[in-house]
Amino acid sequence: MSRRWLMSVALAATAVGWLAVGPVEAVPAFARQYDLQCNVCHTRPPRLNRFGEQFHMMGFQIPSAACPQGLVGSIKEDGPVKTLIDSLALRIVGGLFEYSESPRETETKFEPPHEVELFITRPITPDVSIYVELEYEPKTIEFTRRRGFFEDEHHFGLGKEAFFMWNLGRLVGALGAPTMEMGGQTMIGRHGGFTMHGPMLMAGKIDPNTNFSYPTNRQMLEDTEVEVEEEEGEPGEVHRLPVVPYAFVSKFFGLFKNREDREPQLVTDQVMYNTTGTPGADFHAMINDVLLAQAGFLGENEGFNTYGMLRYDILDRREITFNVSALLNWGFGVVRAPDPDDHDHPGDTRLDRLRYGIAANVRWKALDVYGALIFDRLYGLPAELRREFDRTAAGLTLEVDYLVHEKVLLSTRFDQLWAGGLKDDKRDGTVLSLQAKFYPRQNIAFFVRDSVNLRSFVEDNALRSWRNQLFVGHRLGLLRRIPR
Amino acid sequence: MSRKTYSALATAGLLALGLWIWNPPLIRANGEKHEEEAGGHAHVPAPLEYADAHVPPDVWTDAAMIARGKEIYAAKCAVCHGDTGDGKGPAGAALPLKPPDFRDKAGVAEMRDNYWFWRISEGGLVEPFKGKGSAMPPWKGELSARDRWAVMAYQHTFSGHQGPHVPWEHRESVVVGRDIFVMSCGQCHGAQGRGDGTVGATLAPRRAPQPRNFTSEEFKLRSTPSGQLPTTGDLFRTVTEGISGQGGALTFGLRNHRIMPSFRHMPEEQRLELLEYVKSLNPKFWERQEIKTVAIPPVPAVSGERMARGRQLYADAECLACHGERGRGDGPSAPTLRDGRDLPIAATDLTRSERFKNGARPEDVYRTLATGLAGTPMPSYADSLEPDQVWDLVFYVLSLSNDRRRSAEMPR
Repeated sequence: MSRRWLMSVALAATAVGWLAVGPVEAVPAFARQYDLQCNVCHTRPPRLNRFGEQFHMMGFQIPSAACPQGLVGSIKEDGPVKTLIDSLALRIVGGLFEYSESPRETETKFEPPHEVELFITRPITPDVSIYVELEYEPKTIEFTRRRGFFEDEHHFGLGKEAFFMWNLGRLVGALGAPTMEMGGQTMIGRHGGFTMHGPMLMAGKIDPNTNFSYPTNRQMLEDTEVEVEEEEGEPGEVHRLPVVPYAFVSKFFGLFKNREDREPQLVTDQVMYNTTGTPGADFHAMINDVLLAQAGFLGENEGFNTYGMLRYDILDRREITFNVSALLNWGFGVVRAPDPDDHDHPGDTRLDRLRYGIAANVRWKALDVYGALIFDRLYGLPAELRREFDRTAAGLTLEVDYLVHEKVLLSTRFDQLWAGGLKDDKRDGTVLSLQAKFYPRQNIAFFVRDSVNLRSFVEDNALRSWRNQLFVGHRLGLLRRIPR
Repeated sequence: MSRKTYSALATAGLLALGLWIWNPPLIRANGEKHEEEAGGHAHVPAPLEYADAHVPPDVWTDAAMIARGKEIYAAKCAVCHGDTGDGKGPAGAALPLKPPDFRDKAGVAEMRDNYWFWRISEGGLVEPFKGKGSAMPPWKGELSARDRWAVMAYQHTFSGHQGPHVPWEHRESVVVGRDIFVMSCGQCHGAQGRGDGTVGATLAPRRAPQPRNFTSEEFKLRSTPSGQLPTTGDLFRTVTEGISGQGGALTFGLRNHRIMPSFRHMPEEQRLELLEYVKSLNPKFWERQEIKTVAIPPVPAVSGERMARGRQLYADAECLACHGERGRGDGPSAPTLRDGRDLPIAATDLTRSERFKNGARPEDVYRTLATGLAGTPMPSYADSLEPDQVWDLVFYVLSLSNDRRRSAEMPR
């Protein structure tokens, strides 16, 4: 099948998908609930601007203006049908993907819908909101002990996140802390003195990255997919690791997620932040409008994480904002070391992981720069492994977005991985990605992206078994707007 | 760092945070702490009808005004408030709501001038003071506005403060509004209200509309004549309604949505607190002597003749140069329009009344035509058209709209 033909089909499918919804005004759920344009909260979706960050931090309520009756008020005001429809949003991501394995070899994949996501989200009361993501993926990568890595079809289930957010201000006030009312939302403290928005509790299947200076699920260059090779009668193996922000990956070669399934912890698996969502509870609060504090618990493999994060909003004037964040995370028994005698199998020892790092974000007019430098260190390594295992690793990710035109956003991202793990297997990685995103409407984006492996091609290392990856794709946010 | 060290650090951090929440440093500010100390005198925001009753700054230090105030105070106020303003006058002791102590520097600093003027004017006849048993008489019938200012200027001397009693001297009087502003408004309007928050640059890159600069004199949405600042009521309407999206490339699919949120769910008292802070960013709100608003006559009935006249006026007043013959915002001058910041600005599409920033009711459109939109090429027609002609134009403009609901609401 020729590439041109595939490209034509991709574009046609996208056009049909767009036109099939006819005259609908397709906007995400919150935009419809609050009757706001998307770019009130987003630089361009999914990246949040300052207002969007406040909106998220306050549990999806307009800051200082929560609807006093919540869901009941919405039903009374808008009726049940509009309330229900405004609580839903659909996102379709898809496109054409091409990989160049070597200068002479290319591979092209066409995935008209790569994933379809249904969001159900709404403030229930001034203090409580829900957010549930259901996901359908025509093809997804799974792992079982018997089959190894394999491509599974028609995967449907909970998506990345499904949680509730609860503003505990009222509760903490009832227990004795001084409070003040801010537009139906309860804050701790006193006007003009100490103030605290929240504390907010986010619990369920969560990825608590949004308050960090580098919010991984708000980046313009999306994560690519892992590629596997399956041969008849043999367990499937990873052929190519995805391009993801290396600062947040697991960073170690040779580790395992668990003993029972023997599932390897891939070096590019996202841990702590930028995960596919794990059970946990996250507390965050904004203190005196400049210091954001976050702490919580998260499940990870056979263990769990505790973490704390502080973000300091240093500057906010004359179209410039600047904030820095510091992250400290301890993972209790979150990965399993390889068997010292057989590195292809998990051993008896679970390892602790210390993760620490900093991130920063500068915004100036249409320019948005954000980056993170994260260090990882493993503890509890068996003595037999110490000589052949590097227990420290680091990752750097730096992204620059520039809105050159109302409809065109250019992005570039640099990812550097100083990997750890088994010394015989480990390889560092360096990737540069460039992307142009075109928004004919706020809820629709077409993108062209190219990622380049800046290191040498290494055939038997999944991190570097490619030279170039080209993607052409689209994102649609759909659902009919019902006038109030 | 070992596991033990990490656990100890994490536990200590959480404990410190918990203690901070439970026992934060308290300061005296608007709130129940002050109300408790001041015997029930909560400094609630003045209602809208008194919100613009600001005292010119020079009144507070004008010796003649202070002398005049002293005379009135001795005759009418001292019996309850005491000769030294301590609230312990002979008649005050038996009152259920004790007079406040004007020597209390912090209490006076938190008291905004329009609140003070409202209290003297209406006395204890209004809530929440009526419910607390206030016996304060209303003085608005007996004392002129200048006499009430004079009394305030004299009472102010008890506090020992030497300068004018204005918010930029007493930031504590607007801390509630400031907190709301920082949380809800600063992202677009900037921390100092100069319209330079980071959101504006991506909301409408390199074009109008941009967030309002509250320190300037250009306010689009007003009921006051061209060139004047808006009333607090105008600001209140904007905060309550939000602002509809006007258009532009990226609003193609979201044209009916707002670019500024509606804060209608924010309690009215807090919206007023917010506006007191917004006004405090611009001393000109205190310097204006008299506020005139554009009178909007009762909405007349629509007739064919009126529509015909409106159509003719639409051409004669050169509306079509910007808005186009059919009102679609595509007139010959439209591509060249610039706003007060020299940014390209779109002419309003008059066929979409739901996008009108200043409202789409007939009286809203009348107000827009009469006041113009400051900082944009839209002029005021108050001087060039008679009120009846403005109505002709209003009905013609609304007839261009394809919004059936609005058309159905038009009086016939």
